[in-house]
Amino acid sequence: MTIQECYASLEGDYQEVLGRLYSDALVQRFVGKFLSDQSFQQLEDSLKAENYDDAFRAAHTLKGVSQNLSFTKLYQSSHAITEALRTKDYDLAAQLLSKVKADYQQTADAIRAFQGG
Amino acid sequence: MAQKREQRYTILVADDSEMNRSILRSMLEESYDIIEAEDGLQAVAVLQQKEQEISLVLLDIVMPNLDGFGVLSAMNQYNWIDSVPVIMISAESTHAFIERAYDMGVTDYISRPFDMMVVRRRVINTIMLYAKQRRLAAMVNEQIYQKEKINNLMISILSHIVEFRNEESGLHVLHIQTMTEILLKSLMRKTNKYQLDRETINLISNASTLHDVGKICIPSEILNKPGRFTDEEFAIMKGHSQMGADMMKGVPFQDEPLVKYAYEICRWHHERYDGRGYPDKLVGEDIPISAQVVSLADVYDALTSVRVYKPAHSHEKALSMILNGECGAFQPLLLECLVESSDVIQREMAVDTITKGDQRAMENTAAELMEYEELSAADRTLRVLEQERTIHRFFTAVSQQILFEYTTTPPMLTLSPLGAQRTGLEETTVDPYHNEQVKSLMDLDLLAELAQLLQGTTPEAPEVEFDCEVILDGSKRPVHITGRAMWSSEDPPQYTGAIGKVEEREKKEDAQ
Repeated sequence: MTIQECYASLEGDYQEVLGRLYSDALVQRFVGKFLSDQSFQQLEDSLKAENYDDAFRAAHTLKGVSQNLSFTKLYQSSHAITEALRTKDYDLAAQLLSKVKADYQQTADAIRAFQGG
Repeated sequence: MAQKREQRYTILVADDSEMNRSILRSMLEESYDIIEAEDGLQAVAVLQQKEQEISLVLLDIVMPNLDGFGVLSAMNQYNWIDSVPVIMISAESTHAFIERAYDMGVTDYISRPFDMMVVRRRVINTIMLYAKQRRLAAMVNEQIYQKEKINNLMISILSHIVEFRNEESGLHVLHIQTMTEILLKSLMRKTNKYQLDRETINLISNASTLHDVGKICIPSEILNKPGRFTDEEFAIMKGHSQMGADMMKGVPFQDEPLVKYAYEICRWHHERYDGRGYPDKLVGEDIPISAQVVSLADVYDALTSVRVYKPAHSHEKALSMILNGECGAFQPLLLECLVESSDVIQREMAVDTITKGDQRAMENTAAELMEYEELSAADRTLRVLEQERTIHRFFTAVSQQILFEYTTTPPMLTLSPLGAQRTGLEETTVDPYHNEQVKSLMDLDLLAELAQLLQGTTPEAPEVEFDCEVILDGSKRPVHITGRAMWSSEDPPQYTGAIGKVEEREKKEDAQ
């Protein structure tokens, strides 16, 4: 799998990220690093524990990271949950979590497939 | 402070996401040194330790423990924001958010997603802007400092000449200057009758060093006569105030306030508030306040110093003699100032040394800089310098060791308090190579050998070890000297002096 195919599979924008980071090697390096980013796990855990401050920060970080990597689909859902948490609409946030989780899985699966060759 | 090798700037990246930090690092590490902080608390801790080294902060806003706004308020509280620029990095783009960040002093704003070209450009622009401002500010700073320093130096040279002829140490002049300053500051707080401000106080205390300049016209047989004066000699002696005043009238800078104050002080510092002084028998407020204050300072210093005809009186004794009217008559308000400044006077007089002039120049520079608000960033250099000096003074004072510092220009030897005590020298000795007391402390050939050893070092390897014998506590003791030559940063480096420590060696080891 090429990096372009990986981006296609996770529904991101490879050309956009390349335009900002200027180097295919850098993009690949950070895409690889994404799997060790804990913000999704933190978001899920702190929402379960109803710790909404931490949940907001985790969502915010996830949103920032996916934005930086042009993971468009994940960015959109993490953006939505961030706004829900910012406005303290916790019911909405709980509903949005499953969407974020699905997008995160899709992204992580694509990256793992890319790393697998 | 020109840096010879090409300077690499350091950037502090504060972001809670490891991923975001490494993206920024990869964009910038080619040209900059990067320090990372995982949250606001770490960022503040880094700034606390390395504020001087950091040229830019890239600051995320949403962070755990302490958020970006928290970091900004700490930076405002410690005034770091004046010298360390901050670029905010955040996905937050709400208007209120950005406005608040700008209000708290951020210089620029980079929004996510990061674009390498934009990040690099904003970073370099911001750093260059601040670096240039800092350079300019440092130049102005240096100029003002030099001006103050040269002013003080000239006045101090002049007054030392007078003192030298008077066979007194230069300390008298310094004491008068210090005390004049203290009394005037106290007076300023009590009344605005005399329209005193920092500038005026500074001028009067500088002018005070010239109070006895007229004495250079007094024949030295009279000036330094050990016994009592005859009436005729006393009359000649009293002439010094008028002669000093005439000198001040003769100099070409009549419009200068310093000269005006010096004239008043020279002429009237022996007047008395009750009209029984000389030369003009002025009464009360007809005596300019400059002369009134210097007169009181002069009397106090005479009482608390040793004279051929009397021992030094304690501060308390001097105070009670003055208050009882045994040594002249003074304005009651001024006496109040004397009593209220009692603690300050004792403290300041004790630390007055020949080298204090430099410190005074620095304090005045700092004060002058405060008047130019846009230069406030510049005085961080000064703040650091001042802090370093305080630390140095403190450690030297508490250290139970014989420490020395020698500078070649001016040739001067400074000892730690214990060093002074055990050698019997003053803490500061000007021109030690020509000082009999210093020369009697150790074999001159050995001293020359030590000097040669130090001057033979290099800036890379400036340390020397040396064994010799020195008179400590009145008897000859074997000692080990650990010294370090000081080299200037010029090219080629110049030998500027040495610092070091003197330790006693075990006697028996020496005997073996």
